[in-house]
Amino acid sequence: MTLKKIKENPVIKKLGFNRIVLTGVLILMYVVLCCSVDNFAGMPRIMSALNYAYFLGFLSLGVTFVIATGGIDFSIGPVMFCCALISGYCLTSHGIPMGVSLIISLLVGMLFGMFNGYLVAYQKVPPFIVSMASMNIAKGVASVFTKTQSVSWPQAAKGGWFRYLVKVDKVPVGIFVFLAIAIICSVLLNHTKAGRYMLSLGSNREAVRLSGVDVKKWEMLAYVICGVLVGIAAIYYVGAYTTVQPGYGDQYNNEAIAGCVMGGTSMAGGLASIGGTVIGVFIIALLQEGILALGFTKDYQLIITGIIVIAAVYADVMARRRKN
Amino acid sequence: MGEVILEMKDIDKTFPGVHALDHVSFDVRRGEVHALMGENGAGKSTLMKVLTGIYTKDSGTITYEGKEVEFHNAREAQAAGVVIVHQELNMVGHLTVAQNIFIGREFKKGFSIDDKKMVEESKKLFQKLNIDIDPSATMSDLTVGKQQMCEIAKAISHDAKVIVFDEPTAALTEAEIQDLFKIIRDLREQQLGIVYISHRMDEIKVITDRVTVMRDGTYVGTLITKDCTKDDIVNMMVGRVIYEEPKTKSMVAPDAPVVLKVEHLNAGKMVQDVSFELKKGEILGFSGLMGAGRTETARAIFGADPKESGEIYVNGQLVDIHSPQDAVKAGIGYLSEDRKRFGIVVQKTIAENTTMANLPEFMKGIFINKRKERKKAQELADSLATKTPSVDELVVNLSGGNQQKVVIAKWLCKNCDILIFDEPTRGIDVGAKNEIYKLMNKLASEGKSIIMISSEMTEILRMSDRIVVMCEGRKTGELMIEETTQEKIMSFATRDVG
Amino acid sequence: MEKKKTAAKKSKQELIVFLVVVALLIFFCAASPSFRQYTTILTIMDYSYYIVLMAIGVSFPLITGGVDLSIGTGLVCYSLAGGYLIMHHGWPTGAAMLVTILFGTAIGVLNGVLIGVMDLPPFLATLCTCMITRGLGSICSKNTGISWPTAGQPGCWFRSIFKLDVGGTKIPLGFIWVLLLAILMHYVLRHTKVGRYTISIGSNKEAAILSGINVKFYHIMAYTVSGLFAALASIAYSAVFKTVLPGTGAGFELEAIGGAIIGGVSATGGAGSIIGTFIGVFVICLLKTGLPFIGLQANWQQIVTGFVLIGSVMVDIIKKRKEKR
Repeated sequence: MTLKKIKENPVIKKLGFNRIVLTGVLILMYVVLCCSVDNFAGMPRIMSALNYAYFLGFLSLGVTFVIATGGIDFSIGPVMFCCALISGYCLTSHGIPMGVSLIISLLVGMLFGMFNGYLVAYQKVPPFIVSMASMNIAKGVASVFTKTQSVSWPQAAKGGWFRYLVKVDKVPVGIFVFLAIAIICSVLLNHTKAGRYMLSLGSNREAVRLSGVDVKKWEMLAYVICGVLVGIAAIYYVGAYTTVQPGYGDQYNNEAIAGCVMGGTSMAGGLASIGGTVIGVFIIALLQEGILALGFTKDYQLIITGIIVIAAVYADVMARRRKN
Repeated sequence: MGEVILEMKDIDKTFPGVHALDHVSFDVRRGEVHALMGENGAGKSTLMKVLTGIYTKDSGTITYEGKEVEFHNAREAQAAGVVIVHQELNMVGHLTVAQNIFIGREFKKGFSIDDKKMVEESKKLFQKLNIDIDPSATMSDLTVGKQQMCEIAKAISHDAKVIVFDEPTAALTEAEIQDLFKIIRDLREQQLGIVYISHRMDEIKVITDRVTVMRDGTYVGTLITKDCTKDDIVNMMVGRVIYEEPKTKSMVAPDAPVVLKVEHLNAGKMVQDVSFELKKGEILGFSGLMGAGRTETARAIFGADPKESGEIYVNGQLVDIHSPQDAVKAGIGYLSEDRKRFGIVVQKTIAENTTMANLPEFMKGIFINKRKERKKAQELADSLATKTPSVDELVVNLSGGNQQKVVIAKWLCKNCDILIFDEPTRGIDVGAKNEIYKLMNKLASEGKSIIMISSEMTEILRMSDRIVVMCEGRKTGELMIEETTQEKIMSFATRDVG
Repeated sequence: MEKKKTAAKKSKQELIVFLVVVALLIFFCAASPSFRQYTTILTIMDYSYYIVLMAIGVSFPLITGGVDLSIGTGLVCYSLAGGYLIMHHGWPTGAAMLVTILFGTAIGVLNGVLIGVMDLPPFLATLCTCMITRGLGSICSKNTGISWPTAGQPGCWFRSIFKLDVGGTKIPLGFIWVLLLAILMHYVLRHTKVGRYTISIGSNKEAAILSGINVKFYHIMAYTVSGLFAALASIAYSAVFKTVLPGTGAGFELEAIGGAIIGGVSATGGAGSIIGTFIGVFVICLLKTGLPFIGLQANWQQIVTGFVLIGSVMVDIIKKRKEKR
C-alpha cells in the first residue's frame, strides 16, 4: 500500500519510479564494486566502462525504437561489426578519407535498417526471421568484403581524428555526444509525429492504420533509425577497441536488448523510455567492467545478461497481466 | 418439464469499474429450453462464463444435480456435463472436423491417436443430428454456418446434461436454423436442460419454454413463454431507459444530395456486386445475419481490405481508395465493431487518440503542439459529454461507451463527413447506448452522413432512415423506414441467393 | 473430397522441395566435375546430420508459433560438456552421451517453462538461453577446444554409428538413423497427442485452452523435443567433426530453421510436416557444400542462406495472402 503511495507521488511519477530504482541499483553496484575491488574507483575503470557504454548505448537506443513498434532486431551486433569492417576496410585498404569512411559506416547501418524495415513493414516477414537472416547476411558480407581479414583503425596520432569523438586527452567527449543523441532520440520519440506513430502502432497497429496513418512507412522508419544508430555505434566501437574481426558481434545483441528492456521498454511494444534505456546501458557496462575486475571471464557476463533480460521481461509480462 | 437440474443463486461478480452481475439468480429444469435475454451488456454472457468456470464468481452458489459445485475451467464443466456453445467460434482451423470435435479427448490406439475411429464417431454423430458435413474436411475450408454446426455437434457429443447456446443462430441461414431447432427439440425430449441466449424475439417464441430477462447486470424476472407477449419481454429488457423515439419516417429530404455512391463493389466471397447510395444527413442501416458481409463491405469501402473491383464516388467525384489513408482523405471515417482491436490505442491518452487521424494539424515545425492537441481534445470531449477526469487519462481506464466517444471524437477531429458505425453499441451498457443514439441523430441533423451496421433489429428500426439488407455477401434488399417491418428484413436477410 | 485437396496440397509442397533438391544436385554436377564424386556425398551427409536433427526438433516450437534460437549454441555447449567429461575425467563415451542428452533436454524444458508458463516472447527467451548456453559451454570446457574420441582411441565406436568404415570405403550410415528419426517424428506430429496439440497451439491457442488442453504442458513438450534433438544433433556433430570449439554454434540455428521453413513449416505456426523439414534441410546442405565448388567461398554461403530463409518465408506469406482471397 505504501509502495503504491510512493509510486503515485507526483514528483516520483514525473521522474518514473522505475528509473529511480534503476539509478539506485546503478549507484549501489558501483559502491559495492568499489568496496570489493581494489582501485575500482579510479579513472581508468570509469573510462573503460564508459567505452563499453558508448557503443552499447547507441545499439540500445536504436533497438528501443524497434521494440517500441512491437518488433525486434537482434541483428544489430553483427551489423555493427559489418559497418565497422566495411568502412574500416575502405579506409585502410582503399585509402578513402576518414570523413567519408565514417559516413560509409552510417550508410551501411542505414542500408541494413532499410532492408530489415522493408521486410518487416511492407512484406510482413516476422521480425525474428528477418533478424536471423540479416545477422548472417551481415556476417557474410563483412567477411566477403574484407576477405576474412580483421581491420584495425588508425590511432589518434596517425590521422585517426575520429577518436576525438570518443575522448580528447582525458576528457570523455563521448559521454556528451552519447547523452546529446539520447536527448534527441527522446524528443524524437515523445514530441514528434514519427515517435507518436511508432509508439501507437506498437500498441495497436490496426487501430493506427484504420485512422488513415501510413503505418508501413513509420514502422520501417524505426528500423532505419535503428540502423543509423548502429552505424554510429560501430564508430564508437572502433574508437574504443581499434580492431574488429569478421564473424562476431552476436553477444552484443543481448546486452543491447537487456539495457533497453531493463529501462522499462515493453517487449509488447507501445511503451518505451529513452531515459530508462540510458540508465540500463550504464548498468550493463558497469556490470561487464565489474565482472572482469572480479577476475571472471566474459562468459559469465553472457549468462548474467541472459538472466537479467529474462527477469526484466518477466517483470513486464507480470505487470501487464496484473493490468488485465 | 422435470425437476431443476441447475440452479444459480445470488451470483455476484465485479470487474474493475463494472458491477457485471448483481446478485443474479437463474435456474434450468430437465427437458426445458430456458431463454436468457437482455440487451448487449446486460450480463448474459458473463453469467454463463461464471457457470462454466471461465470467470470465478465473487459470491453466490451454483447447485447442479442437487450438489453445490464450482467449476474451475471449461474442462471441469464439460466433464460434469455442462457445455457451452460459444458465440465466437473456437475451432482449430488447421485440423479436420473430426479432430476438432474430439479435441482434448482423442481416442487412442497404443501411442497414437485413432483418427479413423474419430471420423466414424463424428459420422454417427452427424447422422444422428442430421447434419451434412464431411468429418475429414479441414475446418478452415468450411463456411461459418457449418463451423457453427460443428461447434454444436461437439457440445452435444460431450454427453451433456445442460447445454448453453450463446446466440447460435447469428450466423445461420433460415434452413440451418430449422435444422438447429429440430436438434434442440430432440434434446429437450431427451430431458436435457437447455439455456438459449438470443436477441431474436421470434425465435424465443418458437423454441423456448421460459424466458428470464436481465438488465444492467441484474435479474429482472422470469416469464412462461406461451403466456407472455413480445412486448412484455421488451418492456422488461428496456426498463426505465427512455430511448430515442423509433423513427417512423425518414428525416432526410428527398432531394438531399448523394454524398457516397458505391457501385458494383467486389471484394472476395463476402462482398459481391454491392451497390448503394448514401444521402447527406442520412442514417443508412445495414442489416443481415452474422457473416452476411456487412463489415467486409464497410472495410472494402474504407480501404482496410483490398477490393477487386467497383467504383466509389464521394460527392459525385470518383475516388480511388486503396488504403485507409485514401479513405480518410476523402472524408470517410470508420468506427469498428471491435474497438479494442481496431478503434483505439488503449495505452495512449484520450488526447493522443483524438488527434490520431489528424496529427499534421497539430504540428509546430517538427514538434507536436501538445497544448493545442489537449485543447481540441477537451473541446470534443465536452461536446460529446465524455466522462473522464481529464484528456490525459489513458483510454484503457474508460468504459465502453466513453471509449466509443473517443473514437467518434477522432473522426470529428478529422472533420469526416461520412461515418461508418459498425455495431456502434456492442459492449456498451444500456444507459450509454442511448447517448450514442442521440449523438448519431445529432450528427445526422448537422449534415453528417452515417452508415450504421447493426445486428440488433431494434437498433436498426430505431435509428435508420433507410435500410440495406445483405445476405451471403450480396445486397438482397433495400427498404425505406416507412415500409420496414422486422419480418421483411428477416426475409431479405435469409434469402437464398444461390 | 476436401480432405484429398488438403492432403494433396501438403504433399505437393514436399514434392516441390524434393524437386528443388534434385535440381540443385543436377546443377552442381553440371557446373563442377569435381562435385561428381563419392566423397562429395559423404561431405553432404556429414553436414546434413546435425542440421536435420536440429531442424526436426525446432519444427515443433515453430509449429506452436514460436521459435528456438538456442539450438545452435546449445549444440556446441552440450558437446563440450560431454566431451570434457571424456577427455578430462575419463568417462566412457556412452555415459557422456547420456549427459549430453540430459543437458539438452534440461535446457529444452527451461525454454518451455520460460515461454509456456512464464509467457515470455519465444525469440527473446531463447535468445537469452542461446547466450547462456554459450557462456556455459565456454565455462564447462575451460575455454579450450574439445575432441571426442577419434579413430583408434578407446570409445571411438560412436563415430561408426554415423560413418561405417568397411575396408576403406566409408558408408554414411547416419542417413538411415536420421531418416528413421524423421519418420518417427513425422508420425509423432501427425498421430499423437503431443503433435496434435502442438499444431492446435500454433493454429488457435484460445480454442485449445477452451477445449481443456493443458496448453502449458504441451508448450513445454514442444521445446523439450527441440532441446532433445539439439542434443542428438550435438552427438552427431561430435561424431562427424574432430574438434568442437567454444564460442561457435551461432548461426547453426539459422540453417535448421531455414530448412524447416523451406520444407513447409509455417513461420507463423499451425502447419508443417517433418518429412518436409527433412527434405528442406538438404536444400541448405547442398548449397553449403555445393557453393565452394562453383568458386564461391564459404562466407557467401552465409549470405545465400540468409536470403533463402527470407525467400522461403515470403513464398509462404504470399501463398497465404492468395488463399485468403
